[in-house]
Amino acid sequence: MPTVTPALASIIFVAGVFAGGLGGLLGLGGGIFLVPFLNLALGLPFPAAAAISLTTVIATSSSVSAARSKNQVINLRLGMLLEVATAAGSLLGGVTAQLVATTTLQRLFGLAVTAVALMTMARLNRRNVILDPTMDTGLLGGRFFENESRAVVSYRIKRLPLALVASFIAGNLSSLLGIGGGIIKVPVLNAWCGMPLRAAAATSAFMIGVTATAGAVIYYGHGQLVPVLAAAAVLGVQLGSWGGLHFGVHAPVKWLKVLMAFVLLVVAVMMFIKAR
Amino acid sequence: MTTDVARLERFVGLSLRIGVTTSSAALALGLVLAIFGDDVAAAALLNAGVLILLLTPVARVLISIIEYARERDWMFVALTCVVLVELMASAVAALIFNRQVK
Repeated sequence: MPTVTPALASIIFVAGVFAGGLGGLLGLGGGIFLVPFLNLALGLPFPAAAAISLTTVIATSSSVSAARSKNQVINLRLGMLLEVATAAGSLLGGVTAQLVATTTLQRLFGLAVTAVALMTMARLNRRNVILDPTMDTGLLGGRFFENESRAVVSYRIKRLPLALVASFIAGNLSSLLGIGGGIIKVPVLNAWCGMPLRAAAATSAFMIGVTATAGAVIYYGHGQLVPVLAAAAVLGVQLGSWGGLHFGVHAPVKWLKVLMAFVLLVVAVMMFIKAR
Repeated sequence: MTTDVARLERFVGLSLRIGVTTSSAALALGLVLAIFGDDVAAAALLNAGVLILLLTPVARVLISIIEYARERDWMFVALTCVVLVELMASAVAALIFNRQVK
């Protein structure tokens, strides 16, 4: 563990701004960039890096969901149902994180990040089907105003068990690796469970506050969360994601995704080398 | 039904906004005090900030339980109660497996 100095806190603040900004542009939390930076570049122990990242996930989830809570794009019922699975996964992950070796966690992070990179490349041009606005949405479906099509769109939830399994795995990886886990839930909810991308992303972002809390509490109780570094990271990520969301409208998202996939593959290689 | 959904959304949004604003303020003030060397006050504020941050989703779950109970939606009262129990269990797990930083 490096000594906590104002310089270290400043570096983490700036790293948070970048991670949050890039995350905001790409619709991610930013933990996937923050954890490897803290662990590999700054030499923080993996659990300390994951714990700091989880606090930024909670902050991002809370502020983003508060801002979105008026326009019904968050599916509250589905979110609260899936939270049962995601919090269980997170609880289990937080406990196992204390029992497995750091090298195992680093290898797992490397694998997860490789999967995300490949998925990002595969989904570069993915678009969504818009459904009939008058249809019956069922118990868990939803309806919201979509800006792109300038209309109210509605959807039904398909394959709920699959959504529950994906949420459990996402929760598990979230507390083990210090990421939000939206990277697993959003593609599953979108591609197989019938949710429009915006609703899937908003509902996932809403859920990860609870997911990350279940994990972060365990790290905090173990004394692995350094409050002053968490403060620097949380404030940095808040600033960065605000910037990313506000200036990201005209950003060339496709090339950002290619860049992100490349960065993630480099991170994966570094994690594997470190874990040897 | 629609008005109830809007009411739940409003309360959830409000609780999240209050939580994230107060915790960010405490963390920012704590960070400033830490830089200027007032370690005791800084530590208190930083820990308070982290705790408020961790309690924000818990508060949001509690509010959801109350609102679903008001709507007599017992299925969702039960589901959100399970989430609350899981959050409590992680706090218990943190205390049971208490170990120091390696």
